[in-house]
Amino acid sequence: MRNGPDIMEIYEKWFDSLTESVSRAGSSNIDILKDTLVRLSTRSNIYTKLYEIWLPLYNAIQSRAFDPRAYAGAFDPEAYKEVLDRVFGLTSPEKVLEVYDQAAKAIMVINTSVADFLVPWREAYEKNLQTVPQFIEGHPEAFLNIFHNLFNAFDNTIGRLFHIPAVGKDREKVELALRAMDELTVYVIKSIHFQHILYGTGLEAMEKVIQAFAERIKSGEEMKSFDEFLNTWVDINEREFLDLFRTDEFAKAQSEMMQAALNVRRHFHKQLELYLYDLPVALRSETKDLYRTVHDLKRRVNSLEKELSNLQTKEEARA
Amino acid sequence: MKTPFMVPDTRNFLREMGEFTTSLIKGTENLAHIDEIDVGTAEKELVFSEDKIKLYHYRPLAGKTANVPVLIVYALVNRYYMLDLQPDRSLVRNLLKLGLDLYIVDWGYPTRADMYLTLDDYINGYLNDCIDFMREDTGHEKVNIMGICQGGTFSAIYSALYPEKIKNFVALVAPFDFSTNKGLLFSWAKHWNVDVLADTYGVIPGDFLNQGFLMLAPFQLNVRKYIEMLDIMEDKEKLLNFLRMEKWIFDSPGQAGEAFRQFLKDLYQDNKLVKGELVIGDKRVDLKRITMPVLNIYAGADHLVPPEATRPLNDLVGSTDKSLYEFKGGHIGVFVGSRSQKELAPNIAAWLRERDAEPPKEKSAPEIPEAVAEFSEGRTQVKGEAEETKEAGSASPESPGESPENSIKRRKRSKK
Repeated sequence: MRNGPDIMEIYEKWFDSLTESVSRAGSSNIDILKDTLVRLSTRSNIYTKLYEIWLPLYNAIQSRAFDPRAYAGAFDPEAYKEVLDRVFGLTSPEKVLEVYDQAAKAIMVINTSVADFLVPWREAYEKNLQTVPQFIEGHPEAFLNIFHNLFNAFDNTIGRLFHIPAVGKDREKVELALRAMDELTVYVIKSIHFQHILYGTGLEAMEKVIQAFAERIKSGEEMKSFDEFLNTWVDINEREFLDLFRTDEFAKAQSEMMQAALNVRRHFHKQLELYLYDLPVALRSETKDLYRTVHDLKRRVNSLEKELSNLQTKEEARA
Repeated sequence: MKTPFMVPDTRNFLREMGEFTTSLIKGTENLAHIDEIDVGTAEKELVFSEDKIKLYHYRPLAGKTANVPVLIVYALVNRYYMLDLQPDRSLVRNLLKLGLDLYIVDWGYPTRADMYLTLDDYINGYLNDCIDFMREDTGHEKVNIMGICQGGTFSAIYSALYPEKIKNFVALVAPFDFSTNKGLLFSWAKHWNVDVLADTYGVIPGDFLNQGFLMLAPFQLNVRKYIEMLDIMEDKEKLLNFLRMEKWIFDSPGQAGEAFRQFLKDLYQDNKLVKGELVIGDKRVDLKRITMPVLNIYAGADHLVPPEATRPLNDLVGSTDKSLYEFKGGHIGVFVGSRSQKELAPNIAAWLRERDAEPPKEKSAPEIPEAVAEFSEGRTQVKGEAEETKEAGSASPESPGESPENSIKRRKRSKK
């Protein structure tokens, strides 16, 4: 059934206009109302998307044998990936391309030649993006392709740097920009690995949902509503994902992705500081120093006030 | 092969989708007309403040049944109004109606200027100052402390450092032994590079932590909850209650990086509190120094703070009068569950009243059901349930004593 996306498009437009009207309503709780509307919109999309996935399965169940494997052809993993993305709030890989583009544009302002260094990285990322469906299907060679693409990008950028003479502060900016790209690439790899674990579990859970329904049908049960499917889907997924979350493998993948994301953030802060250094603005590192000084002084004042108060109490007692 | 048992009822499915869409349209229209999502409406007065920390004193809803005031210490994560989320589901109101004298700490919303606040600042500084204020304000040498979740851990640390200031210690769903991996947060946090996290953010964003909480039940909290929401959206009161909970869930203050760093590293990762190795400021925390009566309440089905993290406290403290109480429910159910409204506050009030310093002098005190519960070492037998007292007065969204700065009895330091 291909009506799904149209319905979702209508929902999204409708929610957008509703969210806007809530913003204009002047309520003191605009944020929570807007956020709830957005969350409701996202979850309604999950509902309709699942319905879209469910219908071909349902038709397959009607017309085929009781073998769950026979339903595999009716299942659309791409559409299902969208459902999982929405449940877990995962960033689509396309979004990361925007980061590369934005970074390239920002750096171009400072030094046009640097932008040339970023092009191969962006191209490598685009190639890697194409391997995402292979990840979903669990092809280990997809990892090799990613590393191959990244190596070529490295060779075309940082590799060349080794032959460039030092150019002072600009060289520092170039190196920092490239290190930031490197960190971003590590993040992309860690993020894809993390998402791969989630998608893998999602697909396994879906197989179990289908299996559960096949068994129910076999035993003569009737399926009267989509909500039955939804509830079974939620219950099985919750169980399967919590089993995954309890594993060390998941905890490590989560931790590595988090650290990679934080490294990107730190590099971004450093880069920004470098570009703002000559301008009359307070830098992040300077405000941190200031906050620490204020904090230490406050503690000192508090401590002295307490000492003074104790002395006064003693004096009063003596008097 | 056609399935002989399946009766495909496409009309039924289509009707279902139609109903879903209708509920969605009607419900969102209702949502758009909500003006006020009022939470934490029990009247209270701001009596002390220091930096972003505020100490409130609740207005009584009945005559005193216990003299020693109680300080409620909530977690740094999320907001304290969970204890008074809606007028008919409010631990605070229930305790007030049973005649307790309540104060509560509001930790506020740290900004980047607060990134260097440490556990020392929170416990030896702010918490100690709040308690000193209460001692001076009420004339009691010792006050009761009731710590919730992370606030319970803070309260245990405080009670061990300053036993001379604490009369009774009540812990609600609070973690003490972090060696367990039963809770997902306990398992995940052991793998985190906390230094990179704290150094990068300075103040850990509330949204970051919220994502972690939502991952504890991703399909229930991200999908089913909102689909089920459609069933109640036409009922304004139910919708408001839903929104109150939503407001609380997503109203997450950031966490001062230094305090977060020590809490995660020393407690979640190294479990120093139960090992007797935790140092706050220049003071080592020895739980054996907790010698006052202890009531440790845990939730049997708590997925955030598993019982394995809570129960060991009773074996670690030096108190001889210590009680362990299991609430049959989850972490949030302790505060807003319907059974909790009848069970928890009467039990806590009765336990505190039995350990109150002086007998209550006022005659208008409400009756607490006899032997609501009997707490004993290691187990509790609930013998009866309290009648819910009638709501005393309507709740005003804007507490008159809450905001005017001129009503603040502000002190910088206690003179005690």
